Amino acid sequence: MSLLKSWRARLVLILAVIGPGFITANVDNDAGGIFTYSQAGAQFGYSLLWTMIPITIALVVVQEMSARMGAVTGKGLSDLIREEFGFRVTFWLMLALVITNFGNVVAEFAGVASSLELFGASKYIVVPAAAAIVWALVVRGTYDSIEKIFLAASGFYVCYIVAGLLAHPDWKAAAFATFSPPSRVGIRNYGYLFMVIGLVGATIAPWMQFYLQASIVEKGITARQYIASRWDVILGCLFTDVVAWFIIVACAATLFASGHHDIASAADAAQALRPLVGEYAYLLFAAGLFNAALFAASILPISTAYAVCEGLGFESGLDKKFHEAPVFYWLYTLLIVFGAGVLLVPRLPLVYVAVLSQVANGVVLPLVLVFMLMLTNDRELMGEHVNSRGFNIVAWTTVVVMIVLTILMILTQR
Amino acid sequence: MSVVALSELLGASVRDASGAVQGRVREIAVAPQDHPTRIAFLIVKTANGERVLPPGAISSAGATVRTATEAANWESFTPSDGLLLLKRDLLDQQIIDIHGRKVVRVNDVELESTPVNSHLLINVVAVDVGARGAVRRLSKGLVPSFTLRALLERIPPRVIPWEFVDLLETDPARRVKLKIAYKGLAQLHPADIADIVEDLAPAERESVFETIDEEVAAEALEEIDPDIQVSIVESLDKNRAADIVEEMDPDAAADLLGDLEQKHSDEILREMQPDERHEVTQLLEFKENTAAGRMTTEFISVPETAVVDDAIDALKLFEGSREALATIYLTGVAQKLVGVVPLVKIAVSSPAIQLSELSEPFIACAKDTPQDEVAALFDKYNLITLAVVDEHGRIAGIITADDVITMLRHKD
Repeated sequence: MSLLKSWRARLVLILAVIGPGFITANVDNDAGGIFTYSQAGAQFGYSLLWTMIPITIALVVVQEMSARMGAVTGKGLSDLIREEFGFRVTFWLMLALVITNFGNVVAEFAGVASSLELFGASKYIVVPAAAAIVWALVVRGTYDSIEKIFLAASGFYVCYIVAGLLAHPDWKAAAFATFSPPSRVGIRNYGYLFMVIGLVGATIAPWMQFYLQASIVEKGITARQYIASRWDVILGCLFTDVVAWFIIVACAATLFASGHHDIASAADAAQALRPLVGEYAYLLFAAGLFNAALFAASILPISTAYAVCEGLGFESGLDKKFHEAPVFYWLYTLLIVFGAGVLLVPRLPLVYVAVLSQVANGVVLPLVLVFMLMLTNDRELMGEHVNSRGFNIVAWTTVVVMIVLTILMILTQR
Repeated sequence: MSVVALSELLGASVRDASGAVQGRVREIAVAPQDHPTRIAFLIVKTANGERVLPPGAISSAGATVRTATEAANWESFTPSDGLLLLKRDLLDQQIIDIHGRKVVRVNDVELESTPVNSHLLINVVAVDVGARGAVRRLSKGLVPSFTLRALLERIPPRVIPWEFVDLLETDPARRVKLKIAYKGLAQLHPADIADIVEDLAPAERESVFETIDEEVAAEALEEIDPDIQVSIVESLDKNRAADIVEEMDPDAAADLLGDLEQKHSDEILREMQPDERHEVTQLLEFKENTAAGRMTTEFISVPETAVVDDAIDALKLFEGSREALATIYLTGVAQKLVGVVPLVKIAVSSPAIQLSELSEPFIACAKDTPQDEVAALFDKYNLITLAVVDEHGRIAGIITADDVITMLRHKD
């Protein structure tokens, strides 16, 4: 009896802890991410694969910082920024976050629109429908049941690995490109810099840090249980980047190799895959994109509403009624309505908009990272759990590199 | 008498008698051990380090602070744990709004300055949690103060009077020095306390349960989400946890201990009084989703030969929860359950009447009855309490209607 109980307790503990990092990391490969990885592969072939290793290291470090902050302080990232840096700083940061996240919401609905376009559905019908479904799913459903759907949905990402395998890439060239240093020509090339920043922004999105930390707090994970959580975070990050690597490789092996260097819609990506690997990969791509887009669309707006309301001191929470937390519900609703609304503009370049949102993520990332670094190095706040020197080096390097890349991108733009 | 906002004072230039700027206000300190609301001094950042400026030396306070004294005479500031620093400890932090029964974030603090002779008395009067404080802080330095004041006048204030504010402090030593005892919080209904506590960070939850009265803590703890219950109890010191668990209803205590790790619940049980420990350990044996797992062992039973007066005596001695008082159970030979008497009948009957005359046919269930069937019995017979009997027909415990409601609401 006691043995059974402790075994059960342990299983519950593992399940309770395996969630947040893994889910966040997987939602990370959202529509914006998939478009960016696809475009990177189509436009530059294997030559951007070198970014994956540094991005993975930075991703692990940054996500681990968020998770650790959540576990040690029991507070959300925007709460901590407010408490340590005051109202004004928080206000402007939240404004930047809302704008960037809005771009991401648009990207998710672009993913819904273009994946269903592959089946011939009109975006003027599917986007409003998807927006309504997402809105109701989050407001009506309980957080826990939604989370179980996400967890099950994470399995869909294996689709990309299968798609990558079916594309018969040049493994040797891909491996070589992954481990070789970047070429210097890229620094003077706007398109190349744009794509590198996009890749970073797609993988290490600012909103994920707020979402992950909030999930850790929500789960009630404390510093004591944190060891298990750390592995959850690290494994999630590795899985994310393996999927990203496969998407780039698949597109490089097919689109880039056959001369399709620009993806104008998901149909392009799918059409290009079709003659090479058949109907099956095409379906996988569409289903995977749709799933990724819809589920990220259900997390992003609500996570933004939580972060903003907690930081600025508005009532928040799905357990509250609309009139008890008006700002929370309005912000959530408007993000979805306008995010989906943008898609109704005729002839909108879906893929470009999606990639652009990821570039915006990359540009805003250093700003959020600086706050995270100051917080995770605050001994009064973190106690013995302050950042190690290695973590600081990686995170500060990320900050500097991203700022330099952004400046170079602006300078090379003509 | 005028109201000045903390955010206006912070950063304000301090001018001496000659009108020369001597420094800027960096912090404002209250010493709760001397006076709960009065400002003890301003901390002024000068060219020669941080100096202390008491309101007694201030002639006016606003966007500029004027003083009659020389900067050279100001004492230098030495940090102390016993000082409540308004910027660091209050501004942008979360507090408990006792009146509104929720956790809110402080946008600004309202101070009231009263001229007394030639100097000022400054008191904390309220915290601003609305748009007025937010706009003031956002536009400070960007909009001329005259325009800003006119603008702020138009925003309806949302303030919480200082007496309805409970501060949160996680450091126990500092709590004592700052006289933070969650007095306002402790006066709320346990269910409201539970809601507020659920909104706090783990360290703050712990601080509340370390501080408030054991009985209040126990009642509030019963109302808290089981996962959070566990994390709170695990964070507390064993003795404190045992003190609180003792005060809980035995059935709630058993549910809680059943959710803890074995090692932890054993440690708490060891610290408990023998009587309470015995009751709780008995309940722990039962599966949670059966009648026995849901029952409490605190109920009133008297022999069937007893009279109304005896029942009233038993009521007076009863220490269990109020919900259990609704029914008095009658026992016969070998402690067998033979009847029930509703409390109402006792209240309207004369003292000498024998209870067996008032007895009604009773409904009881076995210990292993599944909880769904328990709920069905409550529904069918419109019960307020239900007796749980063992295989010999002896009463083992009772289930009360509030337990059933909780059970139905939390069914997964």
